[in-house]
Amino acid sequence: MLATLVTAVVSGLRGELVRVEVDVAPGLPVCHIVGLPDAALSEARERVRAAIRNSGFEHPASRITVNLAPADRRKFGAAYDLAIGVGILVASGQVRPGGGPWALLGELSLSGSVQPVPGVLPMVATLARAGHRRVVVPLANVAEASLVEGVEVAGVESLGDAARLVAGPRGRRAARAEPRRPLSVSDGSGPPGALASRRLVGGIEPVDLAEVRGQPGARWALEVALVGSHNLLMVGPPGAGKTLLARAIPGLLPPLDDVEALEVTVIESVAGALADQAALRRERPFRAPHHTSSYAALVGGGPRLAPGEVTRAHLGVLFLDELAEFDRDVLDALRQPLEEGSVVVARASGEVRYPARIQLVAAMNPCRCGYFHDQQRRCTCVPGEPERYVRRVSGPLLDRLDIAMELGRVPPELLVGGPEPESSAVVALRVAAARTRSLARNGGVANARLAGADALRHAALGHRARSRLTDLAAAHGLSARGVHRLLRVARSIADLAGLDAVDEATVLAAAALRDPAAVGRPALAA
Amino acid sequence: MALLSERDAWLVLGCAPGVGAGGFYGLLERFGSASAALRGAADGRLGGQRTARGMPLTGEAAAAVVEAAREPQRTLARLAALGLWSLLPLDADYPARLLVLDPPPPVLLGWGDAAVLHAARSVAVVGTRRPTPAGRLLATRVAGRLVEAGAVVVSGLAVGIDGAAHAAVVEREGRTVAVIGTGHAQPGPRAHRRLVEAIVAGGGVVLSELAPDAPATKGTFPRRNRIISALADAVLVIEAPLRSGALITARHGLEQGRLVLAAPGRPGDPWTAGCLALLRETPARPLVGLDELLVDLDYMGGEGGRVQASRGAAASLAAGAALALLADPERRVAERLRRGPASHDALVAATGLAPGVVAAALTLLQLRGWAHASGPVHLPAGPLLR
Repeated sequence: MLATLVTAVVSGLRGELVRVEVDVAPGLPVCHIVGLPDAALSEARERVRAAIRNSGFEHPASRITVNLAPADRRKFGAAYDLAIGVGILVASGQVRPGGGPWALLGELSLSGSVQPVPGVLPMVATLARAGHRRVVVPLANVAEASLVEGVEVAGVESLGDAARLVAGPRGRRAARAEPRRPLSVSDGSGPPGALASRRLVGGIEPVDLAEVRGQPGARWALEVALVGSHNLLMVGPPGAGKTLLARAIPGLLPPLDDVEALEVTVIESVAGALADQAALRRERPFRAPHHTSSYAALVGGGPRLAPGEVTRAHLGVLFLDELAEFDRDVLDALRQPLEEGSVVVARASGEVRYPARIQLVAAMNPCRCGYFHDQQRRCTCVPGEPERYVRRVSGPLLDRLDIAMELGRVPPELLVGGPEPESSAVVALRVAAARTRSLARNGGVANARLAGADALRHAALGHRARSRLTDLAAAHGLSARGVHRLLRVARSIADLAGLDAVDEATVLAAAALRDPAAVGRPALAA
Repeated sequence: MALLSERDAWLVLGCAPGVGAGGFYGLLERFGSASAALRGAADGRLGGQRTARGMPLTGEAAAAVVEAAREPQRTLARLAALGLWSLLPLDADYPARLLVLDPPPPVLLGWGDAAVLHAARSVAVVGTRRPTPAGRLLATRVAGRLVEAGAVVVSGLAVGIDGAAHAAVVEREGRTVAVIGTGHAQPGPRAHRRLVEAIVAGGGVVLSELAPDAPATKGTFPRRNRIISALADAVLVIEAPLRSGALITARHGLEQGRLVLAAPGRPGDPWTAGCLALLRETPARPLVGLDELLVDLDYMGGEGGRVQASRGAAASLAAGAALALLADPERRVAERLRRGPASHDALVAATGLAPGVVAAALTLLQLRGWAHASGPVHLPAGPLLR
């Protein structure tokens, strides 16, 4: 007897419809799964067999053939388990489908319980688009699936629950179909910058800017960078406050709008990081992968083809501490997302393009020991080593960093005294206002992503500012890209100061935000 | 072989790796001439050879002499290929200052205008390879002032103080002598390749007593320091920790009867501890100011011509006038920088201006050539130095 059920698979960030056909026929008791399954899927055979037996059903001692259609696409993961299991029950006559058509998603454990799977949000969205408006998902994924409108979502805990749902009205009561929970939690209406709690964000513990003493120059540079989404490099000795400043970023980022929130929530769903969360992600992503991260962890890929850190930082900030300690290959892989706003994971079976529009914030020591240029401590590197250390980061990547600055150590008198630093809440309001102003003017484009001609137009340079820019270009030997970069940063400085046009002082200030020494420009004498 | 002149033979023998001045003069003494020594080596008569100091000549050195004697043209072709000139003690224009050395280097090889080696005024500026920004600034100022006084600046082309001094001279279109501790095939550290070109293009000299392809060994750098001090009237030690090569240069200078000056540092500072040790333990004099330096050197007026006695007062007047050219935020930043190097944050604290305003002012001062950055520290330059 033949049973046909509908389930879905994630490819990149999109769901794809998959039909599960199960045929139970007389013959030697074997179970074949065809249709390009991967290893996890081939193991479904064993999981499903045990789950069926442990749920009080019988695994038919017949020839079972499971076909996953379309047959030419490679299938990953374990989200088909539930559909296969229910399919075998239907095909062997143990369950009579009377509950109407259900699409099924979920992984089975040997005990017959249903485990959550990643990517439920895009999969349910795809099913809904294809007209499958009733979906069975693991209980832990109900909230996520409910984000898709116009779909009846039933959460199940076990194979038995799912079988009863499929069997029809009599079994339906037994299944724990969760009522749709209203969308709530963080909707971004609270004051921006107010940190809800001290929980980890993207792998780090956030701090409030009020805790960062000294470093007025670096604080200002950070503000400018956040206004225009400029890539930022901070170079300085250990203890200068680079990491502390970066940890303040989550509290300074404005919340995502509706469209952005959906994009980010889909990514989190596919990354399997959305479990039991019933709302769209409103916080702008902030990811801080460790410098030992592999290429696949950063860019995406891996055996299960999951999005990497650059994608999880999409529309937000990717913070790389100890930039020079990352593998060179890993760093060079950042060039594509920084240039194109997306990243391609190529496989023999095809390629997947993940979105990755990130703002890169990086920190590094000026040399291996960290004390090159330091006023108090002696650098123990051999001559020439500091230059080599900076050169570990390739020129093309350095070229993508709009703001590069050297931080010195905070003098002790400022650590214990000095003016009280502004809090994140104050700074976040200023950043948000300047950002809103810039986005309104640029037609929704951040300053850092303005095309060259637009950067020039929106700068609205006066006569003096224009001639000063010419001086600077000549003095520093700036390329066209260098001039445009300077204009974009100047635009953000002007937005922060509430200026309509970029004036002379703003152009000069923007030039100071890209310290040539910090990006390894050779001097005549070392 | 027979066609080799005595000067060429001298050059070939002097360039044989590992022979050194002692070995060279020992051979000269035994055989009577460089040509005879090469013939002797070719005939296998080097057995029991001793250096001028009575030490036995090493096996490698002896083998190198034999090798050089067999193919003398190879050495000469190598010198020509690198465009090197040579100066030998036999030559009339061998630098007279080097005759204080016993023995004087048998061979000097160089690029640039050798006349610089005979300049009436010549000062060695040396110091650590890892200076503080303040030390680098002092080297720059001292070198600049020496150029104005018409003096040649001698140093060792190392990174740090040496490089800062050479670069300051080149930037002020003065002439400088870099005595390197390697052969000319790899002149100085890689980071200074452009500086080497600039020194030669500016009429200076890059000098070595070593054959072009001689490897740099532990002894070559301290040994060349005796040439640095000998080529100068005075040795100026800017920043030197206790175990610095600059101290070796200073001690050579004292032995050679040169004036030695050391820039004093704060007691307890590790990177000036060597300078303080010099001041405490030797007849070295402290460097207290640029005007005083010229007085100590007796470089006021005279042949240098470009410096007057009242230079100090006139210069600070010029700096005051320069400051008057600036508008307000730049002037406040410039006034603070005049008092010494400062970080961006220190400038913000000292002027009370917003970070963006200070950043703009710094860029403007850099454009004018009145400031430049060394890591997070901004240094005064141009008129702000006076």
